[in-house]
Amino acid sequence: MTSKQKRKLTEFLFLVPTLLAFLMVIIIPFIYGIFYSFTDWQGTGSFSKMVGFENYKAIFNEPAFLHSFLVTLKFTVINIVTVNVVAFVISLLVTSEIRGRNVYRAGFFVPNLIGGIVLGLIWQFIFSNILPSVGAAIGWDLISKSLISNKDTVMFTMVTVNTWQYAGYIMLIYVAAIQSISKSVMEAAEVDGAKYWTRITKIQIPLMANAFTISLFLTLTNSFKMYDVNVALTNGGPVGIFMNKPVNSSELLALNIYQTAFKYNNMAQGQAKAVLFFVVLTIFSIIQVSYNKSKEVEA
Amino acid sequence: MKKVLALVLALAMMMVATGALADIVICQNKVEITAAMQDYAKLYTEKTGVDVKVITGGGSSDYNTVLKAEMQSGREPDIWVIEGPSGYELWKDKIADQTGAEWTKYTAAAYMDGEKVVGFPVAVEGYGLAYNKSILDKAGIDPATLTNFDALKAAFEKLDSMKDELGLDMVVSMVAGTTTGMTWVTGLHNFNVYLTVGNERNDTTYIDQVLEGKVDEERFHQYCQYVALLFQYSTQDMLLNGTQDSQLAAFASGKAAFYHQGNWMDPSLVVLNPDFEIAYAPHPFLHEDTDGILVNPPSWYVVNENGNKDEAIAYLNYLATSEDGADYMVNKAAMVPAFTNVTIAPSTPLSKSVMEWNAAGKTYDWQQYKLPDGFGMGTLGQIYELFAAGTIDVDTFEIMMKDAIAGIAK
Repeated sequence: MTSKQKRKLTEFLFLVPTLLAFLMVIIIPFIYGIFYSFTDWQGTGSFSKMVGFENYKAIFNEPAFLHSFLVTLKFTVINIVTVNVVAFVISLLVTSEIRGRNVYRAGFFVPNLIGGIVLGLIWQFIFSNILPSVGAAIGWDLISKSLISNKDTVMFTMVTVNTWQYAGYIMLIYVAAIQSISKSVMEAAEVDGAKYWTRITKIQIPLMANAFTISLFLTLTNSFKMYDVNVALTNGGPVGIFMNKPVNSSELLALNIYQTAFKYNNMAQGQAKAVLFFVVLTIFSIIQVSYNKSKEVEA
Repeated sequence: MKKVLALVLALAMMMVATGALADIVICQNKVEITAAMQDYAKLYTEKTGVDVKVITGGGSSDYNTVLKAEMQSGREPDIWVIEGPSGYELWKDKIADQTGAEWTKYTAAAYMDGEKVVGFPVAVEGYGLAYNKSILDKAGIDPATLTNFDALKAAFEKLDSMKDELGLDMVVSMVAGTTTGMTWVTGLHNFNVYLTVGNERNDTTYIDQVLEGKVDEERFHQYCQYVALLFQYSTQDMLLNGTQDSQLAAFASGKAAFYHQGNWMDPSLVVLNPDFEIAYAPHPFLHEDTDGILVNPPSWYVVNENGNKDEAIAYLNYLATSEDGADYMVNKAAMVPAFTNVTIAPSTPLSKSVMEWNAAGKTYDWQQYKLPDGFGMGTLGQIYELFAAGTIDVDTFEIMMKDAIAGIAK
């Protein structure tokens, strides 16, 4: 064995534990999952027969799932915009000369350290109990009823909570990107007479395009897969009507899949939805990343 | 490390050893009554010389794991707990027939397999319309008359007209929200009113129909009117945003005259210290009189066919018929016994009322758990919420409910 081969072998051996873990907890369950989506498995014991694409066909005839899909898209679009806009604005704030900016940085990041379930329950209390009593006291009709149990405002509550939680995290990425822009570039622009707004749009944003790629990717996948805040804040409610059937108006895809599998005990169907979910999310992410990559520039 | 391991091993061996020595091994699932049960087992040993060992698995999923492990340990438990049809089907081959045992004379809630008596009811749980007696007295309503729809409707109207005088926010404290996760109250417990009220226990006419996708038109129409009545005299805020706590708080603070919950709320109710008398009225949704509340055991003790069967049945007989057994069930374990011969009353109001109804033999069965998984809480629960929110009216409610039920058969 040559020393080069030996080196290769050593490298491989170091990789084995990680590969093994990856194989055991990601790859194998994933393959199992795809397999089960073609059966009538109920979650216990073995399945009785293969059903081909029946589970997939059934998905497209289910108003609740189609509705969840649309709601998820809507939530994702709104959420990507709000999280990134808020994160970018506060990152500009905490990289400026403002006093106490380190306190702000920590402060904006803290909500991210609270678990989604806890956060959901806290905000549920705020939206269903605190705001209504404030609303009743000051006579503002809109908030004197729970914003969560109103179909038209429930999306707003979810976006608010998620933005509050996630913007601090995305802010960190923007802060790092802003700080990595060389001071000389910014100073040169200032000397040349570029105004603040021009410096941001023409210099900072193009130079930190890779941060946008990452942030958009993270917010896209995070919003699409949103589960914990959804379950704790709204539990999918309130109920609305879609295609003449009752549906949970704020039930995002992940929650819909969970309910199919565990509440309705229809594991194979839930698994089929999960596979579809994976495919759609992968396609969206690839499109987003390749689009953003094309916008990146080197200084 | 080695020392710890050795200690664990020694302990494990001791446990196996004591297991082998006991005459009766009981595997049960209620963590909260473990201590009371062990004390009772000791007492039983003192009185009869029969050694009893209690093994507890916590929570329902854990319990099943513990039970499976015990079954495979080579010393199968003589008595264990089943929580319904799924548990019975799983262990059917090992479960002994107890038909004719002395305890069976005093209960209507035994687990039956056809004509065979196979399960001893551990306790009973019940629900109805809990009422605030002092409010009803002030309004001049006798709760004993609330046994049909028209009487209840008249009572609701009267209470509603006297709201300010009585300090009420609403007549019924009722919840139906998906957001708050309370759809089991409507989709399971309230729906069961349609399934069983007025019927003999074990009569499965209406659940069988539902499982075939059909309903009894007239009965179902009347049931929908009943739901409308309950919703109309609650408040929309309570229906949609009420949690288990706020629902209870409204009743316990005297802001609601009626309360749609079961006696499992007693521990929380006692903490709020209500200063009025509380008892259950029926869910009288029909025009005919239906005098009874909905009562069912959450679990049953079954006996191992291959174990110390006679000793085990003797243990259960003593539990049901002796004063020691009654004292243990009511005072020590704070349960409502399923037996008509027990005369000790529980100290908490809802349980006390359940026990009185049960002793009088005026009970209706629980059959909501025969619905497909998720159907009651999910599918039906959504329609109740739409109705509570005023999105649909009572006729649309009826149509959508029937439509959803028809979907079961597909």
